[in-house]
Amino acid sequence: MKIAVMQFPGTNCEHETLVAVKAVGMDGEIFRWNRSAGELSSFDGYFIPGGFSYQDRVRAGAIASKEPVMQALKEEATKGKPIIGICNGFQILVEAGLLPGTGKIDMALAQNVMVSNGKIVRRGYYCDWVNLRHETPPRRCSGSFIMERGSLFKIPIAHGEGNLVTSTPKLMEMLNDEEQVVFRYCDKNGRIKTEFPVNVNGSTESIAGICSPEGNVLGMMPHPERAFFAWQLPAFDPRKQRPDEPGPGRRVFESVKRYIEVNA
Amino acid sequence: MSQKINLRVWLKIPDAEAATVKNTLVRRMGFGDVLYDVKKERLFSIEVDSGDPQELAKGFARELVNENKESYKVLIDELRFEEGYVPVWVALKIEDGEAISTQERLRGRLGFTSVVNVKRATIWKLYLSGMDRVAKAREIAEGLLINPHKDTYEILDSKP
Repeated sequence: MKIAVMQFPGTNCEHETLVAVKAVGMDGEIFRWNRSAGELSSFDGYFIPGGFSYQDRVRAGAIASKEPVMQALKEEATKGKPIIGICNGFQILVEAGLLPGTGKIDMALAQNVMVSNGKIVRRGYYCDWVNLRHETPPRRCSGSFIMERGSLFKIPIAHGEGNLVTSTPKLMEMLNDEEQVVFRYCDKNGRIKTEFPVNVNGSTESIAGICSPEGNVLGMMPHPERAFFAWQLPAFDPRKQRPDEPGPGRRVFESVKRYIEVNA
Repeated sequence: MSQKINLRVWLKIPDAEAATVKNTLVRRMGFGDVLYDVKKERLFSIEVDSGDPQELAKGFARELVNENKESYKVLIDELRFEEGYVPVWVALKIEDGEAISTQERLRGRLGFTSVVNVKRATIWKLYLSGMDRVAKAREIAEGLLINPHKDTYEILDSKP
């Protein structure tokens, strides 16, 4: 089971993503954007990690989405292979038309706008630990394959452009009806709130992650690889003192492994 | 009566973002036979309700332009561009937090109380050859320069 961890100029989470891939028992390697795109077909799954590909020039993910490796990934996606875009990886998948999955650019991850009590209280880059609620049934999406609907986990975000907006008529309805909304920002009790600080970036319907109609492509703004081990957790989390325990982000990587096993 | 001060700002040093856009358009998107250069400007359109616009413009430039690396041009109540390229105006159609912050900073901390509105845009200067330059510029804008769910664009002018 071999995973390609994509690396574009400006990607900065590829090494910890690869550590997480290997820690759940998958093989993997970093795949540079300028390698022959044809080599991608020999992999069983793909992670597009976070960072600032091409320095976010024009807008986040726009330049990387035009690279030949992304066309190759589109072809691999049609074979049902898992593709997980984290943060900037999510932005690249949206700009490439792989998410929401119609082949067109149907949405944008726009600049963060934090609203509280109806007023804008903050804009732009923000990093924090957030609570996520898993919204789909198990096995719906490759990156949350082993998660129960309604399960909660706390992982970090760090981005300036994670505010999901769309002018495509009925896209939100489709995402909800087809169970393509995988993660929503919530409070520690799992309640969805539309305002900051629960909704950390102003994203429509507090969406933190979506998948393709087939479920194999997942994009999420939070970083599971930064909460893979318990020792990565913040000081206020008691699990930090139990470093042998897995962190909450591990389930994303375990999900991908299980998805590949089931679909092999 | 209000007046609009347009401040066109561009880098004197090489613009890496414009170079990346050109590279992507030529190497990845098939515009190599018609596109021979790309340049970029920032545009601030600042509406004021009183004061000498030329003097105000100098004050705005002191705050918004770093003359160590940037040059600028002021246009009052008009927006003209040079010949030889197709200017594509790109702006956010959702709320532009940076424009709001700029307006608040000019009015509040910096004391330009005559400022009533600030809009911000990017001008992409596409140096295109051939007869269908506007059509090509539209194709480039929609293919790379904007995401239609958050941005809007306009081809401002096209002189031969």
